Amino acid sequence: MALAASAVAQTPLQWSEDEVRAIARHGPWPPTAPRDPSNRVAGVPNAIALGEHLFNEPRLSADGSMSCATCHVAGRDWGDGRARAVGRAELDRRTPSLWNVGYAHWFGWDGAGDSLWSQSIRPILDPREMAGDAGRVAGLLREDKALACGYERAFGHKPEGDDEKLLVDAAKALAAFQATLISPRTPFDAFRDAVVAGDREAMARYPLAAQRGLKIFIDANCSACHFGPRFTNGEFGDVGIPFFTRPGEVDSGRLDGLGKLANSTFNLLGKYNDDASGANALRTRHVQRLHSNFGEFRVPSLRQWGSGPFMHNGHLATLEDVVKHYSEVSPDRLHNDAIPLVRPLTLSAEQSTDLVAFLRTLSVDVPSRPAPPPLCP
Amino acid sequence: MRLLAALIALLITFPAWADCPLDLGRGTGIVIFSSHYLIAFRPEPLRIEVGEPFSLLFNVCTKNDKPAELVAIDAQMPEHKHGMNYRPTIVSLGDGRYRVDGMVFHMPGTWELAIDVRAGEESERLSHELVVK
Repeated sequence: MALAASAVAQTPLQWSEDEVRAIARHGPWPPTAPRDPSNRVAGVPNAIALGEHLFNEPRLSADGSMSCATCHVAGRDWGDGRARAVGRAELDRRTPSLWNVGYAHWFGWDGAGDSLWSQSIRPILDPREMAGDAGRVAGLLREDKALACGYERAFGHKPEGDDEKLLVDAAKALAAFQATLISPRTPFDAFRDAVVAGDREAMARYPLAAQRGLKIFIDANCSACHFGPRFTNGEFGDVGIPFFTRPGEVDSGRLDGLGKLANSTFNLLGKYNDDASGANALRTRHVQRLHSNFGEFRVPSLRQWGSGPFMHNGHLATLEDVVKHYSEVSPDRLHNDAIPLVRPLTLSAEQSTDLVAFLRTLSVDVPSRPAPPPLCP
Repeated sequence: MRLLAALIALLITFPAWADCPLDLGRGTGIVIFSSHYLIAFRPEPLRIEVGEPFSLLFNVCTKNDKPAELVAIDAQMPEHKHGMNYRPTIVSLGDGRYRVDGMVFHMPGTWELAIDVRAGEESERLSHELVVK
């Protein structure tokens, strides 16, 4: 539940120039809407409409029982509230939120996807998740009257080409829809804008506990990874969360993800990238696979936290548990020979409460989403 | 203006570098030097944004008349001892000019560039710190 801005004005804390700069970097919100050059239907209204229908379409799955919306629930901040996702089997990682996913550069907890559309293909084909296949998706687009009509409106021609091509087109429509999921402004954003404008009256409406928590956030250098307007630099890190999945098995995270990326037919170096210049494939072209990638997982955004659980495998149930983890994390676990980015913050009970108070101001309650209108009347 | 003054001072001190093409366009850049090498470089785009790919444009000159080669380039955050998640590539543009693509500084703070240059059998590493906010 978001912490509402106080109705009674208080005297805001004093902020140094460095702190003001740090706060300013976390906005403005929202940024310009993302437009993925690798997806020729990104931002196209008819493709967004098709994508929303496909997102809710259970016939993409092998037995017709699961759609994307089964796990990415609109009313649960586009997650499912579970520690680990459950498809046809329990998976190793938590369902990530889709809020602001259109701004990312790497997708999945392991970054095996380098575009939103390629990431959208993964759960469709994964036998543990929707267990679908290209033939099933292509058949739906060709034979279902509404979807075929929606496809033609989105892409400008009837569904044609081989099954794999139509699977990719479906994924691009799904991505076009998901890119519209931009989270609303929060009490923090109002405070941030007030700080930038030097409006102390508006600043005073932000709860003092959240202000104190923001100072802790800045002082602890959380912004090194939770950087920018989305509160994530979009890269990967090991913050001391166990990566054992079951006895004798580990989740190597980014290390394995980079291997999957390199072997994927659907990466940005392949034929399905609609950007002929290839400029948007620069990260994929240059990314390194390092030993240190073992056990690293994508830095999540701090916006629209949801109610938990948290971390890549739902290891921490509540925000309070997350703050406790960062307060008490063992430096021996993190194997750092220099000044560690993650170190035990040794927060007092009051400081922990303040930090949680700040983090809660990065989320708001979102009205329920209406059902999409029919694709083709 | 300060870059121009620094360059003039250097060229007076080392006349052999007077032929070194240090024009990187955009009227700005960074100059570093050792007893054997003079390197001018600038980022493209000019402002490095955290998490966003950028290139570096280099001119590499030697004190004597030998051609200089940009052999390798890397960067790390000295405070945290971690490097980039991306491996840059070097493109030769001829006459000691190079373009380095695929640089990404994924965190704010101080990054130390390690610039390996070579002329004939002599090689050297020069370094320079960049602060990204």
